Amino acid sequence: MKPSGQKSLPAIGFLTVTRDAEHGLFGGYLVLNHLGRPMEFHCTAPVRPNRAQEILYGPTLEPYLYGERIGQTLLRKASLSPVLAVTDVEPVMAARVFVSVPLALVARRPALAEAGSAALADVGSPTLLGQRLRRDPPHPAPRARTIRLTSLDACGGCLAVAADYPGDVECVRRCWPLFAEQIDLEEPFGRIRDAIEEARNGVR
Amino acid sequence: MPLKRLVTASDEGAATAKRGPMIDGLWQCLPGGGGGGEHVPPPETLQTFSLDLTFHVRPLAFSVTDSPPRAADADSAGAPLQVPVPKVVSIRVAEPAIPVRTYAFPELPDVSRDALPKPKNAWSPPARRTRIAPPGDVIKLQDRLYYLLQPPLESLVASGRLTFPFEPFSFQFQGVAFLYPRFAAILADEMGLGKTMQAITAARLMLRNGELRSVLLICPKPLVTNWKREFHLWAPELPVGVIEGEQHRRRWQWQQPQVPVKIANYELLLRDAELFGRHGLHFDLVVLDEAQRIKNRSSSTSQVVRSISRTRSWALTGTPIENSPEDLVAIFEFLMPGVLSSDMRARRIGRTVSDYVLRRTKDAVLSDLPPKLYRDAELDLTPEQWTAYRAAEEQGVVRLAGMGQELTIQHVFELILRLKQICNFDPATGASSKMERLEADIEEVAASGKKAIVFSQWVETLITMRQRLASYRPLEYHGRISMRQREATIAEFRDSPSHHVLLMSYGAGSVGLNLQFCGYVFLFDRWWNPAVEDQAINRVHRIGVEGPVTVTRMLTLGTIEERINQVLEEKRELFASVFSATDCPANLGLTQQEIFGLFNLAAAGRGGSHRRDAA
Repeated sequence: MKPSGQKSLPAIGFLTVTRDAEHGLFGGYLVLNHLGRPMEFHCTAPVRPNRAQEILYGPTLEPYLYGERIGQTLLRKASLSPVLAVTDVEPVMAARVFVSVPLALVARRPALAEAGSAALADVGSPTLLGQRLRRDPPHPAPRARTIRLTSLDACGGCLAVAADYPGDVECVRRCWPLFAEQIDLEEPFGRIRDAIEEARNGVR
Repeated sequence: MPLKRLVTASDEGAATAKRGPMIDGLWQCLPGGGGGGEHVPPPETLQTFSLDLTFHVRPLAFSVTDSPPRAADADSAGAPLQVPVPKVVSIRVAEPAIPVRTYAFPELPDVSRDALPKPKNAWSPPARRTRIAPPGDVIKLQDRLYYLLQPPLESLVASGRLTFPFEPFSFQFQGVAFLYPRFAAILADEMGLGKTMQAITAARLMLRNGELRSVLLICPKPLVTNWKREFHLWAPELPVGVIEGEQHRRRWQWQQPQVPVKIANYELLLRDAELFGRHGLHFDLVVLDEAQRIKNRSSSTSQVVRSISRTRSWALTGTPIENSPEDLVAIFEFLMPGVLSSDMRARRIGRTVSDYVLRRTKDAVLSDLPPKLYRDAELDLTPEQWTAYRAAEEQGVVRLAGMGQELTIQHVFELILRLKQICNFDPATGASSKMERLEADIEEVAASGKKAIVFSQWVETLITMRQRLASYRPLEYHGRISMRQREATIAEFRDSPSHHVLLMSYGAGSVGLNLQFCGYVFLFDRWWNPAVEDQAINRVHRIGVEGPVTVTRMLTLGTIEERINQVLEEKRELFASVFSATDCPANLGLTQQEIFGLFNLAAAGRGGSHRRDAA
């Protein structure tokens, strides 16, 4: 496809894992060019830990499955090597130990997160004797963070990288501007989720 | 007793292989076995040995009593030390390879960012996101994912990669996303919603992405200039060529590969039909504007259009059904031959075409568009008109009734047209209740500084009106005005504050024109087809209109106009029935029987399936 001698344009990878109640975890990895167009897409077959694994891995199960198993597999499978990969699922960051591609976490924008939780709290709240009852979300279960993260003040403060890889900070600062004008950090994950759903339906 | 002797192995060879070395006959894992700290897995099975623990007691004699020596009376018993074998459950934490499906997409031609203006302000993600959804007839998963993984259309605008004269509406992005992946599609939006812009933008994106190299747009001749202007507005970077001029010049124009977009009119296609076959012309995309022009499958226009070699076929029309579902069947013969047939019921047609037709109404998508106010001017004829009307009707009906088997539908039409003309003007005196009303209304329009368009079926009627409205400096736009003059007329009407009235024929002015600067539309007489009336009205009531549009429909009571109006209302119901996928009668066109019925004439023996399409 590419004429010989043409310089390769920088690519960026978007990596996410979705959870399906029936089938388990699906990983998806989308490589975009600098214009946001798709170049490669990889998705996994469903991965579902058994009960024994859940017990034995304990709180390390998520980083293990999301990062070490699914994330690493997808990043290694791609034929294109992006200058940067980003994920919106924190346990996926565990994959950074196993791959050479700088990996960054897209944190949800605080305003969006607050708006989202407010909407959840308001919609469907039960009432009793005319009084609206407050329904708080459940307390989060303790999660093992196998990789320490460092937030970046660049990119609007919405990216974080593994603290043990200081080179990633520099990489993000250097590479993200190549894409910042064309790509919304959160939008491609919606594409991946739709594509995973389409692929699931397509192979049934 | 040494405890370490209690447990040992019976099969040393096998046990050594599994459990590690044996030192001094003892497994190192045993307590006191001298393992040296090295961890050795425990044996999988334990064997027990029974040792004789009987105490042999020899009594000692003391001299207190002198008794004969005898053995002590003590019982002993062997007690086996049985250790139950524990069950071991082995859990393998396996790491099987995770299957991964991979899809690679072609690297599309790059659009140089340097050639495009960068956004002046900091880029912010668009609030709306319209993504391309793969159509139902795209089967291959890789192809479906290719469309699904494309960036949202709004991001192209937000990032400055695609410039527009003004930001498109959300529903227009949806229209572009609808057309983009489809090889066959009808964009059937109500007039005024920007079908032109949506088609141009979809083609523009595909040309820039390298998915198209050649586009042929076919439209009615009066709209060629409009299309050229719209391409310049919405896709200024695309070279556009209009096929026109002498034959040798057209032959050269057809074969210009460096012009990716060619515009041709229907009439010209008939003359150049042989060029397609002779030169093997192929287009990646053929777009038909006002696609109802091919609703007659046996017409030369339809046949020539269908003969064009092409990869993708799009049809643009605000009226995919003008008279009957047969109109839609004919358009699909161009898009996807054989998918629809004439004997299909409306409900089934609706289901079949649902993935290929996109139809939106202004009411549904443009809640902020100024309202369209209908005002039915139901008028009585003047005494002079009544006299002439009654005389013509009585004579006409008597004549028709007396024709017997020689009576044809043409004779009926002649009478209808005659009566409609009298409803406009009395032929002897020029008296006209409609004109009186129109003069009063136009005076008000002009006084308020507004502009109005008056539609009529006949050029003669328009000329008569011109004389009566001379004080308002009316302009004319109809079949007797040359093509070149028409464009200048529209520009003059738009730009000159002294012109308040444009007199326009349905045939010349009902399609393709943008006349949003008018606030009033007058339908001086009624067309046979409600879709044509709607098209005329929507020249004015469309995107960009600044205020409400008042539509005055003139109707003389107790005349043929009132009877025809009833038929028009039935046709509106037909259109709604197909696109709401509900059932409808098989034949809702203006049948021969219905036409005869306007005068209470029987159509027996003349067949009832012939339809009149006066358009």
